[in-house]
Amino acid sequence: MINKYPAVIGIPRAMLYYRYHALWRTFFQELGIEVLVSEPTDRDILERGTALAIDEACLSLKIYLGHAAALADRCDCILVPRVSNFGWHRNMCTRFEAMPDLVRNVFRDRQVQVLSYDVDVLLKKDEEDAFVDMGLRLGRSGREAKRAYKLAKKAEAAHRRAVVQKQEALCRQKGMKILIAAHSYVAEDPCLGRTVTDYLKKAGVVPLRADLTDREAAVKRSRELSPTCKWELNREILGGILLREEDADGLILLSAFPCGPDAMVNEIIARRVKGMPILNLVLDSQSGTAGVETRLESFIDIIRFKEGTL
Amino acid sequence: MEHAYLGIDVGSISTKGVIIDKNNAILSSRYIWTQGDPIGAVKNLVGLLEEQFDKERYQVVATGATGSARKLVGAILGATMVKNEITAHAVGTTTFYPDVRTILEIGGQDSKIILVENGVAVDYAMNTLCAAGTGAFLSSQAKRLGIEVEDIGEYALRSTHPTQIAARCTVFAESDLVHKIQMGHPREDIIAGVCNAVAANYLNNVGKGKKIVSPVVFQGGVSKNKGVVAAFEQTLGCKVIVDPNGHLMGALGAAILAKRGSGRQTFDFSIEHMDFRTKEASCGGCSNRCEIICVYRDGQLIDSWGNRCERGARVH
Repeated sequence: MINKYPAVIGIPRAMLYYRYHALWRTFFQELGIEVLVSEPTDRDILERGTALAIDEACLSLKIYLGHAAALADRCDCILVPRVSNFGWHRNMCTRFEAMPDLVRNVFRDRQVQVLSYDVDVLLKKDEEDAFVDMGLRLGRSGREAKRAYKLAKKAEAAHRRAVVQKQEALCRQKGMKILIAAHSYVAEDPCLGRTVTDYLKKAGVVPLRADLTDREAAVKRSRELSPTCKWELNREILGGILLREEDADGLILLSAFPCGPDAMVNEIIARRVKGMPILNLVLDSQSGTAGVETRLESFIDIIRFKEGTL
Repeated sequence: MEHAYLGIDVGSISTKGVIIDKNNAILSSRYIWTQGDPIGAVKNLVGLLEEQFDKERYQVVATGATGSARKLVGAILGATMVKNEITAHAVGTTTFYPDVRTILEIGGQDSKIILVENGVAVDYAMNTLCAAGTGAFLSSQAKRLGIEVEDIGEYALRSTHPTQIAARCTVFAESDLVHKIQMGHPREDIIAGVCNAVAANYLNNVGKGKKIVSPVVFQGGVSKNKGVVAAFEQTLGCKVIVDPNGHLMGALGAAILAKRGSGRQTFDFSIEHMDFRTKEASCGGCSNRCEIICVYRDGQLIDSWGNRCERGARVH
């Protein structure tokens, strides 16, 4: 529960931020609440998060905790949603179910207020209910909250359309294109996926993203690769690969160590996606980039070999 | 003067060098240990290559560097071509074995598999960031068993009942191995077990999901180990070719790539007498604190790398 109505809500720039930032920003803006997003990930944030997390936690969770720590004294509460599932076979990783409890516990000595909302369609709590309920807890009326949510959904859809259109424009570019299959919070984090996309761009390769396609179409197509995969985010990537297959010269499976869903789903991809060279890249927190560069450089060479341009 | 091409492959454990002529014939070649000092190893290597090299007849006109220290060595040598070891190995091997379909490679820290169709590499895999089952593992186990790493193969071939060793992870393999030693398993059986474990680990990790088609060429330092070769042949059910120059394939590939490339720079072997130093500088431009490596020749900065953005370019 929130003790007082917050004036500033902190949002960690990690994990679901990359999926929901447009939705969150608009919702709180419409309710007249200021939003403070943490700075992009850097070594400090990564190290702070690593110190706060248990060893077994995935790198993305460590980074998330680093962002939460960076916000702790700078806002009235931190937004940490619990997103469990969107229905049958549409689950999120358990990390996203545990997140509010996790953050409350990690920061139990620091008086950090956690603002949460709970999406669990299997328990009949959909996203709209969750946002309206959060609005009530922020002292707004049900009508105000509902209105803010509707506008936020519109903003989210518009943002998504723009992102997908940008990807489609990239698909039409000439030259070598490599499709990256990764969670958005891995692909876009400056300490993780951005080191990969920056390298590719410098090498004259256009990076495409498997997770940035029409979500509904992707989830539908994903059944061709796995009828039973239960992870929603991985479904979007599976389907995204099939939607972008034609445009890409190679595929990089990029994941942050250790990721349970990726460990299983990337194995499915490696076995079932044919006709395209695949590079499996697992990122850990080591500061040297040599191992990653060797793998990327040789991957690009293999594609050039195939095309006879090396 | 006839043209010659130098290729140097500096790995974590060993440093390899070759000089070839325009027909890829080897004019000079050496294989030495890196011993944690890539700069010293390369200077040493260049001296040794020079001894065998006919300077009256040939002139080195292009230099290629590969291996995990390729950037550093490339800077020191003034290389005209710096290429990763996978490409170098693929180019080297397909030049000498045009019909090869599968290249297995196990080095000191890395292992990789390269699949070839019609003389062109089409797919590859490399160990993830874990060095289980590579040469480093074999050396440390040889030390534990009190034998030279070079003798592992001979011991392994004498075994009739290889011991089962869990090879998924070096830490588990090691504790399993110690346990088997204490249980009284004969040494050659344990060594044969270690070799089988290396082959099994490789095929289950790097080779997972890859269709291994004959002819198979096995290279990298570990290919000198007859025990691992025998283990591969048994598991794959086909002949595994080990070229006598297999340990030089990366260096050969680098030399061939340098020959094919457009860069030309005469190499005069004088680096033996130059002083090279490296310095690690931590960039304070932002909290990423990039580790920047600066390379100096006789006190003069010749190259630097490691910075992710322009801010780091000023730190020397």
